[in-house]
Amino acid sequence: MNRFRRRGPVAVIVMAAGVSLLGLVPLGYVVFTAVVTGGPTLAALVFRPRVAELLGNTAGLVVITVPLCAMVGVAAAWLVERSNLWGARVFGVLLVVPLAIPAFVNSYGWVSAVPSLNGIWSGVLIAGLSYFPLVYLPVAAALRRLDPSVEESAASLGVAPFAVFLRVVLPQLRLPILGGSLIIGLHLLSEYGAFAMIRFDTFTTAIVDQFRSTFDGPAANALAGVLVLICLVLLVGESGARGGARYARIGSGAARPSARRALGAFAPAAQLLVSGLVILSVGVPIASIGRWLVQGGVAGWSDRYLADALAQTIGYALVGAVVTCILAFPIALLAVRFPGRVVRVLESITYITSSLPGLVTALAFVAVAIRLVPTLYQTSVLVVAVYLLMFLPRAIVNLRSGLAQVPPGIEEAARSLGRHPVVAFSTVTLRFVLPSAVAGAALVFLGIVTELTSTLLLAPNGTRTLAIQFWSRVNEIDYVGAAPYAALMILLSLPVTYLLFARSRTDRKVVNGL
Amino acid sequence: MRRTEPGDVELRAIGKSYGGTPVLDSIDLTVPAGSKTVIVGSSGSGKTTLLRLLSGFDFPDAGTIRIGKDTVAGPGVAIPAHRRGIGHVSQDGALFPHLTVRDNVAFGLDRHQRSERMTTVSELLELVSLDAGLADRRPDELSGGQQQRVALARAMARKPRVMLLDEPFSSLDTGLRSATRDLVSEALSAAGITTVLVTHDRAEALTFGDQVAMLRDGRLAQVGTPTAMYSMPTDLATARFLGDVIVIEALASGGRVECALGIVAQSTSLDGPCLAMFRPEQLRVGRLTAGADDGGCIARIIGLEYQGATRLLTLDVPGSVPLEVPVTGDTRYLVGDRVSLRPTTEAVIFPTGRAGASSPTP
Amino acid sequence: MITPTRWVAAAAITVATLVTVVGCSATEGAPTPGASSGGKPTGSITVYNAQHESLTQAWADAFTKQTGVTVVLRNGDDSELGNQLVQESTASPADVFLTENSPAMSLVDNAGLFAKTDASTLAQVPAAYRPSSGRWTGIAARSTVLAYNPSLVSESQLPTSLLDLADAKWKGRWAASPSGADFQAIVGALLTLKGEKATAAWLAGMKANYSAYKSNGTAMKAVNAGQIPAAVIFHYYWFGDQAGTGEDSKNTKLYYFKNKDPGAFVSTSGGGVLKTAKNPVAAQAFLKFITSAAGQGILATGGSFEYPVGSGVAANAALVPLADLNAPVLDPSKLNSRKVTDLMTAAGLL
Repeated sequence: MNRFRRRGPVAVIVMAAGVSLLGLVPLGYVVFTAVVTGGPTLAALVFRPRVAELLGNTAGLVVITVPLCAMVGVAAAWLVERSNLWGARVFGVLLVVPLAIPAFVNSYGWVSAVPSLNGIWSGVLIAGLSYFPLVYLPVAAALRRLDPSVEESAASLGVAPFAVFLRVVLPQLRLPILGGSLIIGLHLLSEYGAFAMIRFDTFTTAIVDQFRSTFDGPAANALAGVLVLICLVLLVGESGARGGARYARIGSGAARPSARRALGAFAPAAQLLVSGLVILSVGVPIASIGRWLVQGGVAGWSDRYLADALAQTIGYALVGAVVTCILAFPIALLAVRFPGRVVRVLESITYITSSLPGLVTALAFVAVAIRLVPTLYQTSVLVVAVYLLMFLPRAIVNLRSGLAQVPPGIEEAARSLGRHPVVAFSTVTLRFVLPSAVAGAALVFLGIVTELTSTLLLAPNGTRTLAIQFWSRVNEIDYVGAAPYAALMILLSLPVTYLLFARSRTDRKVVNGL
Repeated sequence: MRRTEPGDVELRAIGKSYGGTPVLDSIDLTVPAGSKTVIVGSSGSGKTTLLRLLSGFDFPDAGTIRIGKDTVAGPGVAIPAHRRGIGHVSQDGALFPHLTVRDNVAFGLDRHQRSERMTTVSELLELVSLDAGLADRRPDELSGGQQQRVALARAMARKPRVMLLDEPFSSLDTGLRSATRDLVSEALSAAGITTVLVTHDRAEALTFGDQVAMLRDGRLAQVGTPTAMYSMPTDLATARFLGDVIVIEALASGGRVECALGIVAQSTSLDGPCLAMFRPEQLRVGRLTAGADDGGCIARIIGLEYQGATRLLTLDVPGSVPLEVPVTGDTRYLVGDRVSLRPTTEAVIFPTGRAGASSPTP
Repeated sequence: MITPTRWVAAAAITVATLVTVVGCSATEGAPTPGASSGGKPTGSITVYNAQHESLTQAWADAFTKQTGVTVVLRNGDDSELGNQLVQESTASPADVFLTENSPAMSLVDNAGLFAKTDASTLAQVPAAYRPSSGRWTGIAARSTVLAYNPSLVSESQLPTSLLDLADAKWKGRWAASPSGADFQAIVGALLTLKGEKATAAWLAGMKANYSAYKSNGTAMKAVNAGQIPAAVIFHYYWFGDQAGTGEDSKNTKLYYFKNKDPGAFVSTSGGGVLKTAKNPVAAQAFLKFITSAAGQGILATGGSFEYPVGSGVAANAALVPLADLNAPVLDPSKLNSRKVTDLMTAAGLL
C-alpha cells in the first residue's frame, strides 16, 4: 500500500514506461543499422566528401541562424515588452503569427516572390523568419515576469540603462534564450521542405534524396546516424550551457509591470525592425499565397482532393492529439505526483526522441514495421505512433503544469467525503487538468497539421494530407494549385498559435518542446 | 568607487500624480546630512512613491529634490537613478538571481578596482554581519534576513550619499526583523550615511530614525523626533498609527480640560467637547486601600484578559464608556473589584472629529 | 491504496478504439479480391505510381469509368517505390507498379516480384519498348533533351555530346536533378553505353560543373529565369509548359543530342503487375487499358506530352517524332539502378 503511494500505481508506471520505451525504437534502429552495415561500409558511407559538404551546410545553417534568431527574438521581445514602441500590443501578437506558417510554406512564399533564392543565406533568411518567434515568445514572457526592482537595484548602483540590460536582464533571460535556441536548432536539423525548395542541401534533404533513390538504403541510414549525433550534440550543449541555474524569482514582492523605456532617437529604427520582421515573415508568404489564390480564382478551390485532404488532415491531427494527450498522461502524472529518478529517465527519453528529426523516426518505423510487424506497415497506426513520439513532450509539458496546479488537498477532500480514489481523481483532478490537456492537444494538433516529412514517408496508400498535397503540387511547379492547401494549413494553425500566445502570458513552460 | 560627501536631502513642494490621481501633494521635507529619517504611513499613503522620486526611478510633477548641493529633480532637471549616487534596498532585496553573493555585492564597484574588490566585499559582508562563507552562495540559497543584509552591503559598496530603504524588513519574521533592523541601523550610523527609510511598521518608525515623517493621503501630517511624534502627536490618526491609545470624551472650558478621570489638561485653546488621549502606560491602576486617596477616580473591573506579561482590564468608569487599560505587576485582580484609575501625565487634547470614537486602537 | 485500474482501463480502451478506427479507415482503400472466375475486373486495385500523378490519375479515372474498378494511388519516385516493393516483398499491398523509367522496373523484376504480363497486353506494345521476359511492359517514352536559354548560350556553343558537359568550360553552366529517377535513368544509359569507368569520370566532372535542382521542372524554370544557361531534362516538361502559360519555358529552347549519343537516350516508362497482387484480374486489365488505344490516346492528347508506345497511337503533333530522335539502342531491362545510385553516391551527387 505504502509502496504504491511512494512510486505510483503500477499500471500507470507500466503505461508510462511503455510509451517512453517506444521512443527508443528510432535510436535503437539507427544503432542497429550501423552495427549491421558494419564498420568499413559505414565508414565509406560517412567519411566521404558529400557528407563533409552536408556537414558544412548543416552546421553553417545552425551556427548562423540560431544566434541571429536569438538576437532578433530578444530585440523584438524587448521592444514589445519594455519600450514605448508604437503599436506594441499589436506587434506582440503579429510577431507570433509566423508560427502558424509552416517553414516550407514560408519558403514557397519566398520562392514565389524571389525565384532565384538558393544556398545557405537564403536558408538562413527563410529559417530565421520562420523560427525567430520560438525565441521571441518565451523571452517576451520572461521579460514580463522579471521583477523590475532587480533592475532598479542595478540602476541605484550607478549602472547605466544599457549596461543594466547586459548585466542584469540578459543573464536572467538565459534560460528562455537557450531553450528557444535549442528548439530552433532542432527544427533546422529536421526541416526538409523549406530547404528543398531553395535547393539548399542539409542532412535531412540528403536523407530524403537517398530515400527517394533507394528507399531504406544503408546510405540514408548512415546519414541519419550522423544527423542523430548532431542532434545529441545540440541537446548536450544546451543542457551544459544551462548548467544548474534556475533563476527563481526570490522574495515575494508583488509583481508590478516594468516601466517602458522611451526609444527617443532609436524609435524609427526600432519601428522599422519590428515592422520589417512582420512584413518579411508574415507579409511576404501571405502576399504570395494571396497572389496565387487570385490567379487560381474560384476554380483553384475546386481541386478534387481539397476537401478530402482537409478532412484527412483534421482527422489525423485530432486522433494524434487525443492519443498523444492520453498517453502523455501517465508520464505527466508520475512526474508531478511521484517524482524520482526513474520517472526523470522516462521523461528524458520522450524528450530526446521528440528532438530527433521526424524523418529519422519515420525511417526507423518503416523499416521496423516491414520486418517485424507487417500488419502495421502502411497503416495510420504507424503514422499516429510517429506523431506521438514527435509531439509527446508538448502534451507532457502542458499536462504537468496543469497537474501541478491542482491542489492535492482537493482530491483528498473528495476522498474524505467518501469518494473512491479513482473517482476522486477523475471527477476532481481531471476536470482541473482539462484546460492544460486541451492546450497540449492543441499544440500537438498544430504540429501534425504542418508535418510534411515523416508523413510523406509513412502515409498509407491513398493518404492525402494538406501538407502532402501541397508538396505534390509544388513539385509539379503548380504553385497556383498549391496555394489553397497552403492557405488551409495556415487557417488551421492560426487559432492554435493564438492560444499559444495567450498561454505564454500565464504559463512559462508552454513553449518548451515546440 | 566614487566617494561622495554626505549631504542634506531636501524636498520642496513635491507633487506627483498618476493618471490624474494625486499621490503626493506639497511635500516639504529636509533630511539632515548623516541622519536617519523614517517616512511612515499606511499603504496607499504615497510613501513608496516618495522614495521612488528620491531614488530617481520616477520624477515629480512639481517641486524640487536636492541631494547635497545637486538638484536631482526639478523644473528641467531629471537625473536618473544611476547618476544620483544613492543606495537603494527594496522590500525583498531584489538581489540579482543569476549572481553569487560576492558578485551581487561587487556589482556596483568600478571594474578597474578589481584587485580591491575582494577585500571590499569581505569588509562589507563583515559590516552587515554576514559570514564570509556565504560569498559563493546564490541568493535563493539565503534566508530572507541574509538576503536583506546582502542587499544592504551591495548598496553600501559604493558609499552612497543617501541610502534609501523601501520597507526592507517587512518580509522578515518578527524576531529576525528587529535584529536585522538594529544591525542595519548600526551599520548605517557607523558609516554616517544619510538614510531615508519607508515603513508602515510603528516599531520601526520609532526605533530606527532620528526623525519621523508621517505621511497620510499624500501629505505630510507631522514631522518630528520619534519621542515628540509618540507623545505629542498633532492628530489622533498619527497618535493611533504610532501606538496604542486610550481616548476619553472630555470637555474644555477656560483652558482646562475635564473628563471622567478628572482634570487632565491645564491649558488648551479648545473650548467645548473634545477628546483626551493617553498612552496606556500613562494610566495607573491601583488597589483601593481604605482611607487612602491617590487622587484617581474609582472604577470597577468588568472584564479581565490574561495576556502573558500584562493583563488587560476592562474598566467601568462613571461618566465614560468602558476603558481598556493594561496592567503589569503581581497584583491580583478579579472581575468585580473596584480599583483606582489615575493619569500620570497630562492628556493630549484633540478636537472632536470624525476620528473621535472612544474605543482604543486595536 | 488501490491502483486506479479503472482509469487505466478506460484510457486503454479509448486508445484501442481510436487506433482501430484509424486502422480501419486506413485499410478502407486496400484492394479487395474482386476477381471473379469469369475474369471480369471488379473491386479495387492499389497502384504504386511513380509516373506523374496527373497522368496516372487520368488513366485511373478513365479505367474506373470503363470498368468500375476503384484505383488507389500511392505516389512516389521510381527508385523509392521500386526499393519499397523489394523491401515489402510478398507483403506488399501493391497490385500494379508504374514508373517513369525502366531501371526501377528492372530492380523489381530482378527481385522476382512481377507476374507475367498478359499476352494480350504485350501484343499491344512493340518489342523495343518491353523486356523479352514479358514480365512488364513499356507504357510511355520520353526523350532526354538539353533545355537552354539562348540569351545565355548560343546554339553554336551547345555541346555535341552529353559527355561534353563534364568539360571545364561548362563549369557552373548547367543544371540537373540528380535525385530524380529521370536523371538516374540517363546515367543508367550512359553506364550501359560507355561503361563504369567512363561514367564515374563523367559524374566527377558533373559534380564540379553542375547545379542541383530538386526536379526537372525547377531546373527548367531556372534556365527560363536566366539563372543558369542550360539543363538536362526530359522533353515533356518543356512541351507541357508551352502548352500552358509558358511562364517557365518561354525564354528557353530545346536541343536534341541525336547521333545515338547517351544524351539522346529515350527512356521507357514501365508498368507491371505484382505476383502478390490481391486483385490480379483488375491489375492486368488496368495495364492492358493503359497500353490500349484509349490509354495511349491519353498520352497523345492529354497534357502529359510523353510519347505513346503502344497500339500504334501517334505522338502529339507538337513533338519531334520518336523515329527522328536517333536515340541509342538499349534494352530497357538492362539499365542498372543500384549501380547508378552507388556511383552517384560515390561522386557526391547524392
